[in-house]
Amino acid sequence: MKRKVGFKTLGCRLNQFETDALASKFVNLGYDVVEDSKDTDVFVVNTCTVTNQSDQKSRYVVNKALNQGHGGMLIITGCMANHHKEQLEKRYPNAYVINNDQKSAIPQLVEAHFNKEIKPSNDHKGGVFSYAPAAETFHTRSMIKIQDGCDNYCTFCIIPKVRGRAVSRSVDDILENIRQVVSFGYKEVVITGVNISRYNDNGTNFSALLKQIVDLDLDFRVRISSIEPDSFDDEFFELLKHPKITPHLHLCLQSASESVLLKMRRMYTYKLYQRIIERLRTIDPLFNITTDIIVGFPEESVADFQQSLDAVNEMQFGHVHTFKYSKREDTRAARMTNVVPEKEKTKRSEELRQVAVDAKIKYRKQFIGKTQQVLIDTVKDGYSKGYGEYYIPVKIAGKLKKNQLYNIQILDMENDSIDPCLRAKIVE
Amino acid sequence: MERFKKMNKQAIIMSKEVPVANKIKTDLHEILDIRYLTDSTFVLRIEKKELDFEAGQHVCVGPPNGIHTREYSIYSAEQDDCLEILVKEVENGLVSPSLKKLQKGGFVVVEEPVGYFTINKNLPANQKYVFIASGTGISPFHSFVLSKPDLNYTLLHGVKYAEEAYEADAFNKEDYVLCTSQESKGDYNGRVTDYLKTNSFGKDAHYYLCGNCNMIHDVYDILEEQGVSTDNIHAEVYF
Ligand SMILES: Cc1cc2nc3c(=O)[nH]c(=O)nc-3n(C[C@H](O)[C@H](O)[C@H](O)COP(=O)(O)OP(=O)(O)OC[C@H]3O[C@@H](n4cnc5c(N)ncnc54)[C@H](O)[C@@H]3O)c2cc1C
Repeated sequence: MKRKVGFKTLGCRLNQFETDALASKFVNLGYDVVEDSKDTDVFVVNTCTVTNQSDQKSRYVVNKALNQGHGGMLIITGCMANHHKEQLEKRYPNAYVINNDQKSAIPQLVEAHFNKEIKPSNDHKGGVFSYAPAAETFHTRSMIKIQDGCDNYCTFCIIPKVRGRAVSRSVDDILENIRQVVSFGYKEVVITGVNISRYNDNGTNFSALLKQIVDLDLDFRVRISSIEPDSFDDEFFELLKHPKITPHLHLCLQSASESVLLKMRRMYTYKLYQRIIERLRTIDPLFNITTDIIVGFPEESVADFQQSLDAVNEMQFGHVHTFKYSKREDTRAARMTNVVPEKEKTKRSEELRQVAVDAKIKYRKQFIGKTQQVLIDTVKDGYSKGYGEYYIPVKIAGKLKKNQLYNIQILDMENDSIDPCLRAKIVE
Repeated sequence: MERFKKMNKQAIIMSKEVPVANKIKTDLHEILDIRYLTDSTFVLRIEKKELDFEAGQHVCVGPPNGIHTREYSIYSAEQDDCLEILVKEVENGLVSPSLKKLQKGGFVVVEEPVGYFTINKNLPANQKYVFIASGTGISPFHSFVLSKPDLNYTLLHGVKYAEEAYEADAFNKEDYVLCTSQESKGDYNGRVTDYLKTNSFGKDAHYYLCGNCNMIHDVYDILEEQGVSTDNIHAEVYF
């Protein structure tokens, strides 16, 4: 009988990339791979610790699996495992709590466990880039990890402490990884990392890497995932005009108040951010800019918050991920005293969410009548769904082929009040 | 889960292993010397070991027996064979008061140097720099100037009292402007921001700002009014 491994992934795309790569490795070892803990021999929870809520969610997933009777091997990995290793080991004595830098060695660890060679609390060496490219994953897009860690030291962020120092994967390795996943049939690669704009491999910076990626003589499109707006050069903007690069960036803003940005120790000003958006919209007036905004950061005044609200309209964001500021112990912001009361934070985040939804709907409406190329990732009864170049969800009536690109024309938009899909028909 | 069943195992090719772990390296470093500059401010000179750095970077330092560290800009020059940090004891602070209690021959925990507040190597050799510091924010500029003696710079140092002109002889007299806000013993009586409003250094200079964020915020505004592009402004916020 084949052994079964289940995965649950929380948090960022980097975690998703790592889960996909692990899942693929397990398939290669002859395991069945599923997306929950039911009837599994091994359940891997790839946790996140970016907010207190992520900690809670991660614990909830582990507890749920145990409450539902998971009796197999339990592996807790990801950033929460780095940050709260001892606590987790105490609370879940039968679990393996695996640091990020050993995460890629999980398949070897599982094999060793079933061979009775080890017990929990083992120390396997992995390395942050030791992931095989995933032939088949939980996603239609293949994520390509180019970098890990961050040296920015934003005052609210625990990531440098848990992911460690910035380290870049070699150019050759990345190009090889892309060649492989494209040969597996992937049509889109997503460039991921903790802070990809700081990519630097022996003098090759992010733009220079991107140039080598688009120069690969293969048929695929490139999506750049979450990126910090602090070190773009002219070459980067030039490259965004390349047909292989999709017109979408998730450009983290966090706040539109200059004084809050300084208190956060962000490496850019709102003015710089505005200039970047201007340049992007000159390249393509519909360029999709999605972002993260934190509300209720210590000392955020009503006027500071208003600037973030105004920015949502001004920037015409395609999507805003609103975070209520949550204190992370051991960060500089945790030691700031003038905090915003919880009730006020909730009020502000609701207000921002509403403005963000309105902006999203306004942004999406501009696509009605336009044509796009959609990569299908879901086929359900009666309709197929996917994302176009601009990373906006599109539904098409009928059963289409998954992981195929289709030329479509946008007809109208659903009435969903929060995340309306565009509706489209196929065109030649 | 259909797609997993269909998976073509042959297609999976192992990628090259890249055995890089990016854990933050910490080590104990001996305190070689302590220079007390004022009642609250001192320079810790510590063993360098193999820690190479670029002027402007910082290290996280903490007492040897605790779990807490704080960031401190490196005060010494890149080529020195020891590391120095300039520390001000913050009242009711956690780490700075315990660093002040340490003695020569004792140890501190030091993490590897890190940070992007460095001189851009692509700028021309005769580039004009304006360094603007408040309090111990002078530390990275001390390192810049000692590491690169030919820098073309003006340093504005904002403090309350003239005694806080920490080891100012390291700078050329004509390039250093001590702005004292609470007494008139400095080169200029008032805040750095007041000085900057009446003394502009032009759009082509590169401005490096270091210290508390209120000063940095105000300087940004003044420079913007003077037409300086944000591309030419670099900031390191301490608190
Ligand atoms: C990149 C970077 C470089 C730094 N370099 C230096 C340096 O070269 N020299 C140096 O002395 N400090 C420097 N700092 C500040 C330093 O890291 C600590 O914050 C400082 O020593 C106080 O730490 P603490 O544990 O004693 O106080 P904490 O317990 O952390 O803080 C107590 C309170 O004091 C406030 N505070 C922090 N620093 C100061 C200050 N200097 N004056 C007044 N109030 C303050 C904080 O906002 C906080 O509310 C730097 C900070 C950063 C982010």
